[in-house]
Amino acid sequence: MPKLFALFFALLLATSVCVAQPNLGEDPLSAHGDHVKVTWLAPQSLGADGTTTLGFYFEVDPHWHVYWRNAGDSGAAPRFDITIDDAKAGPIQWPFPKRLPIEHLTNLGYEGNTAYLFEVTPQVGSQQVTLDVNLEWLVCKVDCIPGFGQMSLSLPVTPETQWREEDKTIVDTFKQRVPQRLETSPYQVTSLWPLGEQTLALSISATGQQAPDVFPLDGSLLTAREPKTIAAETGWELHFKRQPGVDLPSDTGFVISNHDQAWSAPKVPIGSAPVAAAPSQSIVLLLLAAFVGGIILNLMPCVFPVLSIKLFGLMNTTASGGARTREGLLYSAGVLATFAALGGLLLALRAGGAAIGWGFQLQSPIVVFALIVLFWLMALAFSGVFEFGHKLMTLAGHSSGGSFATGVLAVFVAAPCTGPFMGAALGAAAVLPAASAMAIFIGLGAGLAAPFLLLCVSPQLLNRLPKPGPWMDTLRQFFAFPLYATVLWLMWVLGRIMGDAGWLLAGSVLLALSFCLWLGQLGRKGLRLLASIVAIACVVFAVMQLRDNSGAEASQTSANVWQPYDQARIEQALAQGQAVFIDYTAAWCITCQVNKKLVLNTEHTTELFSQHDVLAIRADWTRHDASITEALAQLGRNSVPVYAWYAAGETTPKLLPQLLQERMITELFEPTIGDQ
Amino acid sequence: MNILKQGLLASILTVPALAFAVATPGEAAPDFSEVDATGEMHALSDYQGEWLVLEWFNKDCPYVRKHYGSGNMQSLQEKYTAQDVNWLTVISSAEGKQGYLGPVEAQNQAKIHNLNASAPFLLDPDGNMGRDYGAKTTPHMFIINPEGDVVYAGAIDDNDSANPAVIPESNNYVVAALDAALAGKPVAEPSTRAYGCSVKY
Repeated sequence: MPKLFALFFALLLATSVCVAQPNLGEDPLSAHGDHVKVTWLAPQSLGADGTTTLGFYFEVDPHWHVYWRNAGDSGAAPRFDITIDDAKAGPIQWPFPKRLPIEHLTNLGYEGNTAYLFEVTPQVGSQQVTLDVNLEWLVCKVDCIPGFGQMSLSLPVTPETQWREEDKTIVDTFKQRVPQRLETSPYQVTSLWPLGEQTLALSISATGQQAPDVFPLDGSLLTAREPKTIAAETGWELHFKRQPGVDLPSDTGFVISNHDQAWSAPKVPIGSAPVAAAPSQSIVLLLLAAFVGGIILNLMPCVFPVLSIKLFGLMNTTASGGARTREGLLYSAGVLATFAALGGLLLALRAGGAAIGWGFQLQSPIVVFALIVLFWLMALAFSGVFEFGHKLMTLAGHSSGGSFATGVLAVFVAAPCTGPFMGAALGAAAVLPAASAMAIFIGLGAGLAAPFLLLCVSPQLLNRLPKPGPWMDTLRQFFAFPLYATVLWLMWVLGRIMGDAGWLLAGSVLLALSFCLWLGQLGRKGLRLLASIVAIACVVFAVMQLRDNSGAEASQTSANVWQPYDQARIEQALAQGQAVFIDYTAAWCITCQVNKKLVLNTEHTTELFSQHDVLAIRADWTRHDASITEALAQLGRNSVPVYAWYAAGETTPKLLPQLLQERMITELFEPTIGDQ
Repeated sequence: MNILKQGLLASILTVPALAFAVATPGEAAPDFSEVDATGEMHALSDYQGEWLVLEWFNKDCPYVRKHYGSGNMQSLQEKYTAQDVNWLTVISSAEGKQGYLGPVEAQNQAKIHNLNASAPFLLDPDGNMGRDYGAKTTPHMFIINPEGDVVYAGAIDDNDSANPAVIPESNNYVVAALDAALAGKPVAEPSTRAYGCSVKY
């Protein structure tokens, strides 16, 4: 204590020199401690009618910090014991803090100078207001030093508050950082719920905002450590780590900041998990995502050749604008009807309790086989091996039925190419009410149909395309190759679903079909009939084989770091604090294969994973698997690819983008030290 | 990106603490086995069937000084060891960090501080015991029942001021928890925010 008295006298001496308030010459106007100097932020006089914000200005040495109201894992908030005469003083207003990682702990506080503010309202008729304050603070770098002080101030009351410019600036600066009412915030708190034993999840919705910094008010309930922030459909989900063994209260508070301003949510009730993320307010956004996703589908390797050829058909015709518009509309109708049908089927199955997701049609070997045959015939036709018979040609090319059929075809061939923007929309569709889900499917269809329709109805746009000519034949022949590639890939998919028998069967049928085509072209009527019969017989035989065989086991994953999906194994690893990476994939998903090839199966990734003892799981959704569908639904998705990363010691995943880059995997393991 | 990195950093830094369950009220206490300043070994199993209080200590921490300078901690140690409660005061400061004490110094400091614990300081310079328990601050307090379960984890009292003058009017959580537990009653507040200086691992 003698130290304190010495300090006290030192303060007296110091303040007798700085005579800002002549009538208070002997009162201390500041307090000092190691690494800290505290001064008043006060006007020269208080306005008689109204409230004035005053404060304590803490000047703190570089790299030292003082604390917020919830100091975090260690440390202590400053204390202000204010006695005030002839006025009312409000509670201390705390500017939003910064997370300060200190060795194994996280503190909440301020590095550098800060101000703690409070409001003063003079009583009616008072001439002078006196303030006495007992201060205590803790200033820390790694080690901590407590400080104590006493400060007083006497302020005359005048009609208007009079400030020194520099003091007013400081007060205003920090006042801006004091949390405001949540109603004025761009962020809305949607729900707060316990996630397992160790985590409290907070969902915040906002549009057009950066991810918020959120600070818990109650340090005995939640640790101060940075919450895991997961971008959700309409905002973010933040996972706060709970203090072990503390029972949940009925509510708790947070301060939400956008790094410039902050808002206070003092009482957020702790309830149950939000029902299916209820993104009702952002259905427009989801629809937009679906639409854009649909447009991008046009460029996918499985769709582009088909549409291009269709377009050539249009350019070749001397059809009037009206006829073209009709073609475009029919095509669109085909696309939309197919999407609606698939969406309806999906919803009906969902209502029936089946755990399925987008792309489910490709889990059927018969559908895959049908696509193989279709792509093979188209590829051969593109190559010029045979001309579509004029009946077929009219069907695919010029007749109204043809445009509708092209639309149907486009949807079927597009299904495996889940592109950017589509994942989120389809994931939402899986959990949304039927009407909204159907709207998203239709939105996707509208996106897929839009570019073609636009070209049909706008002669100007069509005229911009290069003039028809012999080059179109060359291009058509060229387009055969992506189709051959698609055939190869689908054969592989079939192999994954059925085992090696799938390859052999499909390959044989393709051979037989090619032979039949050749046979048919010999020109004799009898031979043509024979060829048709043989071809149909082959296809029927193959489909029957596929039906019998669809239960056969697929050959499982090759021998590498990747393990097949095993929920028990994953839970065990998470309980042990091991890092887990789950690759939700399917053989029929092109994006998945690209990511696998370029990022996941590289030596770089394999090495990183084994170096950090990561349990790498490949959840193969090529065939219908209820447990994987269930796991996807828990992540809010119902399509692949999905990449879930559980950092070591975490039980909640971070989802990686659908288009992976090697850099993203590297970044999982090389956190840079935050600026301390 | 920055948030992500910081989040990852935080999770990586806390891996040692998370890899094992930290001492949590209602659950079995983590095992430990450390030597005290006189070289004697203490393990959790030695205290099976008995009450045990663990207290984290750093002689240079102002909050530890608050409770030792005022004699508050020593009087608690005296009061409860007289009731056959074991009391171990643990130093987890790493060598070269604030509060680290070698065996000889520790014995001296035990005398200077009038330590009334069951043994002179338990020395945990590698921080294993502190991390297993999730000891964050000095003083961080844990109470373990004869069955080996944690019944209390947290601060010594409800006043995180460094000023010893506040001790008489503070609500002492450890006293409340021990008195209730020894009387066979449930502990009203089994977990509180431990205040004080960070443990210098």
